[in-house]
Amino acid sequence: MRLWLPPVLLAVLLIGLSTGMPALEPLFHWVQPDKQQVIYERESFLSLLQNHVFLVVISAAAGTLAAVAGGIFVTRPSGRDFLPLVSQVASIGQTFPPVAVLALAVPVLGFGEAPILVALMLYGLLPILRNTLAGLESINPAVKEAARGMGMSPLQVLVRAELPLAGRVILAGIRTSVTINIATAAIGSTIGARTLGDPVIAGLVNGNTAYVLEGAILIGLLALTTDSLFEALERTWDRRLSPQMAV
Amino acid sequence: MSVNRVILALGILALVLVWLLDVGTIQPNRIVSGTGHGLLSAVGWSGAALVTLILVGVILFAVLRVRGRYLFLLVMIGLSLALLPLLLEVFAGRHLPEGSPYARSSVGAGFWCLLFLLSLMLIEVVGQLGRRRGLQLLLVAVIGGSWLMFLQSDGLESLSLVREFHARPAKFEQALWTHLALAFGAVGISVVLAFGLALKMIRSPAWQRPILGLVSFLQTIPSLAVFGLLIAPLSALVSAFPVLGSLGIRGIGWAPALLALVAYSLLPMVRNTFVALTEVPEHLVDAGRGMGMNERQLFFKLKLPLALPVMIEGVRITTIQAIGLTAVAALIGAGGFGSFIFQGLGQAAMDLVLLGALPTIVLALLADALLTMLAASFRPAAARV
Repeated sequence: MRLWLPPVLLAVLLIGLSTGMPALEPLFHWVQPDKQQVIYERESFLSLLQNHVFLVVISAAAGTLAAVAGGIFVTRPSGRDFLPLVSQVASIGQTFPPVAVLALAVPVLGFGEAPILVALMLYGLLPILRNTLAGLESINPAVKEAARGMGMSPLQVLVRAELPLAGRVILAGIRTSVTINIATAAIGSTIGARTLGDPVIAGLVNGNTAYVLEGAILIGLLALTTDSLFEALERTWDRRLSPQMAV
Repeated sequence: MSVNRVILALGILALVLVWLLDVGTIQPNRIVSGTGHGLLSAVGWSGAALVTLILVGVILFAVLRVRGRYLFLLVMIGLSLALLPLLLEVFAGRHLPEGSPYARSSVGAGFWCLLFLLSLMLIEVVGQLGRRRGLQLLLVAVIGGSWLMFLQSDGLESLSLVREFHARPAKFEQALWTHLALAFGAVGISVVLAFGLALKMIRSPAWQRPILGLVSFLQTIPSLAVFGLLIAPLSALVSAFPVLGSLGIRGIGWAPALLALVAYSLLPMVRNTFVALTEVPEHLVDAGRGMGMNERQLFFKLKLPLALPVMIEGVRITTIQAIGLTAVAALIGAGGFGSFIFQGLGQAAMDLVLLGALPTIVLALLADALLTMLAASFRPAAARV
């Protein structure tokens, strides 16, 4: 249980700060003495946080589904022809800077939540796809052979042998993807998505360091919470599954 | 030899999309939205027939089992990519109203799809031919050179992207240098820092966990937050020590950008340097000792050369990341191509956004290609496969 303590504590801190930011007004007055208003009030921090998390979760879920499905397809006999191209595209695609991908989505899809969702999904897909391929390809052929020998159908081999074995690597890919997407979603407020980046951008535009600080602290906390959540997930996975997996 | 299903699928998709989507749009001026033109309207019967013919040819070669078909495909796809701007030139020549200096042509979704799918086909063909490096270089040189020539010719002058560039050539050059200086400055500083940290970790293993923990913590914090968090402390520092201010250091601008970029660059650099230096095979070190090398010689003549490819891989990851993050740094006034992106987003001028985003991507791809080649050339002959 001690594993889950850091993410829970961080999450409590994150939600507490999101709701109780106005209580820290004196502190921000000290940071920004020359401004009347030092607490960002155009929108509540809690709803910004909600929307930020919503964007990341939706894009991560869709990206994971698409990437794992794609990874499975190109490692089956019927899709093998596509494997070299797909793995090359997955690695070349990751050299594209996330900001540039975000910016390119706007001319195609316009301002708002749609382009950012698409950009987050497409960009977040790549690390997951790469890890899915790596995970599925690194499985010892003898294991698959043994599973087939036990009388499993190809679907059973996939679901009961390959995916559990590759799962840990796929999870690491999802972690990378979510980390990048939390950062990219924050920048998404420049294209009209409501995220925790809003106070930062508003503060930069108006020269109000207090706003910038409020947004930056919450974004940083969100990233740390998510990261420690994945840390706990990965540890649990290792503890529960590796002893039987040490074949 | 069997049917190449990858090229077949990409070819059919390209054929469908190029007929379905707009190849380009014509705008009467910068603000009014333009009218789209499909393939037939954009380049006329002969042009549309040529495009279709090439794609059908590609599809046929993917299906037919002809000897040397990949060489044919390579030449066909390579030439198509090199001459792709011609499509835009013909389009602009046919549709741009004469005598209206503000009219401009923009690239449509059909053109982008064609470019993307042709590139995918090229990657597949090069892979089938065995990924020879000379061949790749030649292709990049031919295609890149041809595009540069087209961009400098008069035919594409009406292209909105080119218009945006011609409106601010000096600013573009300045953005390029700022971008390069920030990204490479950060990489340079982090190489030195990471080398020192990695050596410290090797000499005293007790430092390994705290150092790795710190640099991965830095990597976890989103870029916008780091840039934001640096503003207040730096401003306070400058008001406490005015000397710093006279050096050009302020809460916003290049100083916090460089600091944040270095912080981000540390994780891949430290990790790769450490792994590279510690994973030199023990038997090679023993062999070196046996030859009478002292520790210093062992380090400079054996460990460092063997570690170099992995360290360059670290520099590659770091550089790509730094080029992308420098674009974000424009938000805190650091300049670079990001300033075009965010300025364009602010004015809803999509071509200005492209003028910032495309060079950023090109820079990242170039850095990736160059450093991959550099790492390969440093790999010791025995390790080359």
